[in-house]
Amino acid sequence: MTIIDARALPDASPIEADLLIIGGGMAGIALAKELAGGPLKVAILESGGLEIDADNQALYAGSGVQRAPGNPDRLFDDYPIQSRVRALGGSGMVWGGKCAPLDPADFAERPWIPHSGWPVTRAQMQPYYDRACDLLEIPRFPLDRPRPGEPERQPLALDPADGFFPAPREFSRFSGGNDKAAFDAFRTQFAEAANVTVYLYANVTRIRREGSEIVGLDVACLDGKRHTARAARYVLAVGGIENVRLLLASDGLGNRDDLVGRFFQGHVTYSNDGDDQNEGTAIAITRAAPMDLYAPGKGGVAHCVIGAGLPAQRRMKTGNFTATLFRVKPSEPATPVSADTETIGKAAARLAGQNDGKMLGYFAMAEHFPNPDSRVTLDPDHKDALGMPRVRLSWTYGDKDYADLERSVTGLADALGASGEGRLCWSLERNQLLAISRASRHHMGTTRMHADPRQGVVDPDLRLHEARNLYVAGSSVFPTSGIANPTLTLLALTIRLADHLKSEPLKSEIGR
Amino acid sequence: MTSRRDLLAALVALAATPALAAAPDALAGLDPAAVDRIGKAWRDRNPKVTARQLNARLFPVGRGSDALARLRAHAAADFRQGAVFVHRGWRLSETEGALFALLSLEGWP
Repeated sequence: MTIIDARALPDASPIEADLLIIGGGMAGIALAKELAGGPLKVAILESGGLEIDADNQALYAGSGVQRAPGNPDRLFDDYPIQSRVRALGGSGMVWGGKCAPLDPADFAERPWIPHSGWPVTRAQMQPYYDRACDLLEIPRFPLDRPRPGEPERQPLALDPADGFFPAPREFSRFSGGNDKAAFDAFRTQFAEAANVTVYLYANVTRIRREGSEIVGLDVACLDGKRHTARAARYVLAVGGIENVRLLLASDGLGNRDDLVGRFFQGHVTYSNDGDDQNEGTAIAITRAAPMDLYAPGKGGVAHCVIGAGLPAQRRMKTGNFTATLFRVKPSEPATPVSADTETIGKAAARLAGQNDGKMLGYFAMAEHFPNPDSRVTLDPDHKDALGMPRVRLSWTYGDKDYADLERSVTGLADALGASGEGRLCWSLERNQLLAISRASRHHMGTTRMHADPRQGVVDPDLRLHEARNLYVAGSSVFPTSGIANPTLTLLALTIRLADHLKSEPLKSEIGR
Repeated sequence: MTSRRDLLAALVALAATPALAAAPDALAGLDPAAVDRIGKAWRDRNPKVTARQLNARLFPVGRGSDALARLRAHAAADFRQGAVFVHRGWRLSETEGALFALLSLEGWP
């Protein structure tokens, strides 16, 4: 196994390879796995070590704020440091393993959503999604979703014209949050390949360019060692925030059209508990049959969420939306609010011809629309221990984000009611949405993919428009963010990138 | 005016499934205080409505075996048309709101 501590190298060591991967997270590892055993000499430069440590994590520190119209700003200074991991395996170290492909709608250009549309379709991504599923050892997601057959896993009988569908989620064991031993093997064994070397504690602080070609990297260790790294081709894969940081800190590489760092998109969930006046987010299902398809008895197992497909989005003029259902216990002691809730659920069930239904909780998620004002920038006045400027994150929503969320909630409530399958409760006011939202660790859109260099940082092959031998991997290339956890999609895109890299001629690429 | 007993009998008769038909009381288990609160909340938004009007609206052709199906269809149509009544965050059909209101006016159970 070739895993080298860069701190143990003599100072000013030159690191050379055919392909240098900056970042040993899920994308970097997947790419190295795809290239392992092949003709290319591959090296990964990873900032962290084998385990999480505070000194390396501190390099992430920055500032952040969430903004939304009609809501007080929400300071988010701890988010840049708490939402990623610097270690071999990256944020996979704390990932829960949830996997889902983006929906066909996510790839489509939707005229009612500015900046929507990917330069690749869901159908074109299918073989790469299949390979990503194989890599994570989870069942594949067919393009045409099959209906589960077990009685307890029957989908809700919503009117197809409403456009809501059961969107499946699977869980991989290859995540630090699920099976650390399995993940340890996943993140290290690929380095046994003769053509792969992993350098730990190797922080890339600058990408050097001459014209349209990348000619080298500055590598720094926290103990003071400084190295250089050189290759024919480079892949930047340090996450949706850090990709931006390194490009901007490298004399604004890729930022000719002021796009690097813009269009930051994140995922948040919306849910609340009831109070003395209103019920919280809940769905009263009218059918007697089990709801295991949506709300299995335990967490971390395959299930479906209720998703808004393209027909629903087109009809409601909204973006993607999901409701994730979960089991709840009735509140104790009984209150007027809980008694009204129980009565509403029972009455709806009786109206549907059932004796009793069941009460479920849910959290809502809505697509964060591409917004050039939602962005990552550098803070030149504050630098980390290696002299890199820290990041400022301005996570910004527009009026359309919350208006569409509310319209989607209403649309699902009406679809449930019209079908007789249930009733939905939503008591959140718009001016409290930012405060109650819970952010996930998904950072997307900041080096967006587009064929037009004036509209994207990377081209459809994930190559930087401004540099012919630098590629970007990870969720920062997503033009839109959908709802699904991004890991499976970023892995699929990385596998697609690996095919592209393998297809390029070897001799002409060597720029040394 | 519709009597409470009539309404209960109607709802039992409305049963569309064996499970409901077998139930001694179609509204068994519903909290009377909750029914009253929800009904009053709907009436607060429709203060002039009477039990007679509600009865005519909800059961225009009587309480035969197809009445539940009709209520169900009306509720579905309400959701399609945006004719909804929001109570404590719950998005209900106007038909359901009216039904709770009728029960409330009748002092159910």
